[in-house]
Amino acid sequence: MKAWLNFSPSIVNKRVIADLIKNYNINFNILKANITPKGGKMLIEINGKEAEEGIKFLEEAGIELQPITRVVKKDEDKCIDCGACVSLCPVTAIKIEEDWGVEVDDELCIGCGFCTYSCPMKAIKIIE
Amino acid sequence: MKTVEEINQKIKDGDVVVVTAAEMTQIVRESGAEEAAREVDVVTTGTFGAMCSSGAFLNFGHSDPPIKMAKTYLNGVEAYSGLAAVDAYIGAGQPNRNPDIGFNYGGAHVIEDLIRGKNIELSAESYGTDCYPLTEVKTEINIEKLNQAVMINPRNCYQNYAAATNSTKETLYTYMGTLLPNMGNVSYSSAGELSPLLNDPYFETIGLGTRIFLCGSQGYVIGEGTQHDTSVERENGVPVGGAGTLMLKGNMKKMSPDYVRGATMPKYGSTLFVGLGIPIPILNEDMAKRTAISNEKIVCHIVDYGVARRNRPKIMKTNYKELRTGTIEINGVEVPTSPLSSYKKAAEIAGELKNWINKGEFYLTNPVKKLASKGFEVKPLETRKPSVLVKDIKVKPVITVHPTDEINAVAKKLVDNSVNHVPVVNSTGKLQGIVTSWDIANAVAKGKERLGEVMTRKVVVAHEDEPVDVVARRINKYEISGLPIVDNKNNVKGMITAEDISRLIYAKKGKNGGSL
Repeated sequence: MKAWLNFSPSIVNKRVIADLIKNYNINFNILKANITPKGGKMLIEINGKEAEEGIKFLEEAGIELQPITRVVKKDEDKCIDCGACVSLCPVTAIKIEEDWGVEVDDELCIGCGFCTYSCPMKAIKIIE
Repeated sequence: MKTVEEINQKIKDGDVVVVTAAEMTQIVRESGAEEAAREVDVVTTGTFGAMCSSGAFLNFGHSDPPIKMAKTYLNGVEAYSGLAAVDAYIGAGQPNRNPDIGFNYGGAHVIEDLIRGKNIELSAESYGTDCYPLTEVKTEINIEKLNQAVMINPRNCYQNYAAATNSTKETLYTYMGTLLPNMGNVSYSSAGELSPLLNDPYFETIGLGTRIFLCGSQGYVIGEGTQHDTSVERENGVPVGGAGTLMLKGNMKKMSPDYVRGATMPKYGSTLFVGLGIPIPILNEDMAKRTAISNEKIVCHIVDYGVARRNRPKIMKTNYKELRTGTIEINGVEVPTSPLSSYKKAAEIAGELKNWINKGEFYLTNPVKKLASKGFEVKPLETRKPSVLVKDIKVKPVITVHPTDEINAVAKKLVDNSVNHVPVVNSTGKLQGIVTSWDIANAVAKGKERLGEVMTRKVVVAHEDEPVDVVARRINKYEISGLPIVDNKNNVKGMITAEDISRLIYAKKGKNGGSL
């Protein structure tokens, strides 16, 4: 699953993520992070055997977790299926389908935003 | 042998056989060209790509009192009105006059909004004449209110086009889309086997007066497009590069936003995606063969947009079958490819045109004059003075330092030679980094001793055979004040600074009696 972690100022100095990775059997990936002494947010992907336990640990440590179902959204009215975005995706989340339509795979997308800038139609949006 | 008249009779009788160019490729592969020529009457083609060389003539009608529009803006985008009083030409690539909007809403977007029937703000200024006394007008127009809205595109529908990649270390934003560093991707724009002019590569059926599908309406070819080129090398009967182009005309009042869209190529400009389809009458076996062209047989070069010159170096040859797989191997590395024109839309257009003909809504035409298939070559623009190359300008003798040098020694070298930048080289003279007087001050402040600790390792460089204008853009882009000049083997040949370039400009202007 993908989720936003909200860090309050009181926990930004605590060792939470390191402990999570060390102590739980999980696949963990940080997709985006912006944390300052005033708190902040981190977009993560967490899977694996002990993902549930790991999430519980995060919540007990005081990190608010907001699961997200969508990372990216393509506006079908704006998209003209040109394909300019396809070769720019670092995780091959954008593909040309059999009918030559362009599809963005939300599961694979890491929200880097490279395609959004380069889209001639401004048809792809990262959901914050 | 068939004639266009016979085909039109079949359209009228409802027994015409129309297939798309993709279908024709299959048919000829399976049944041969002879049978295909007997069976098939018309092959429809299509393309939906970014075509900057597009625009529209608009006639606004006269206000009371009337105005002779001299400067004309539509939603903030200038339309050229150096014509009669209330005619203007809006070009797809014209940016918005508001720099904050710029390319994000340009001429192409105005054209799309007009076709969508939206209201557009018209503002025009004039100098006032006895017959046109008004000097300013501000009002709202839409396509219904215009007397004419005629799309006239000077150059559309390139027969073929080179694919693009980028060998430099930086991302480039081009009219071929975003090109990743180190040949990280390849972008290509032709619709391949569906592309109109690849299905009639010698212009045997297309010419002045050919009726076409243009942005959802019936439009016309009005001649060769600008930069029409008949001299390009061919393989399998089709050119391997740009070659033929079309000039097109259509009535915007009949167009559909499904087939024409304003777009923005980031950091390049606005452009118009134009949907067009051309019917090719299968008059004989030869035409059947030509329209059977497959992606595999259409060859193009991949060129390096990292070199900002008229003649960009060719990296390798490829074909559209390979490009369409989504990856291509360059120097042993698998590189992802991106189309820039929508194949889905191109197929939709070929299909729609096929429907029109089948339903008897569209009849074929004999051109009044066929497009030229020889004698056209694209001439370059010769500038009055050849562009000055880096090696042509007098730079100071090369001073270099080594990563192991002490900060004090480097500081002394900067002062002794009164320079602000020094390239850092290894023992064989190859570039390792650069150091500026600011870096030295920084090193002193932080108590660093060796140059290696403070030098910048990622260096923007200039090459001896590059035009100075290209280097000037680089200085501006990276907000730097000087670059080491290196040869192909990374040996340092000198330094070029913003000062050198401004001195050059001053010398040039000075000679002409002008001022800065």
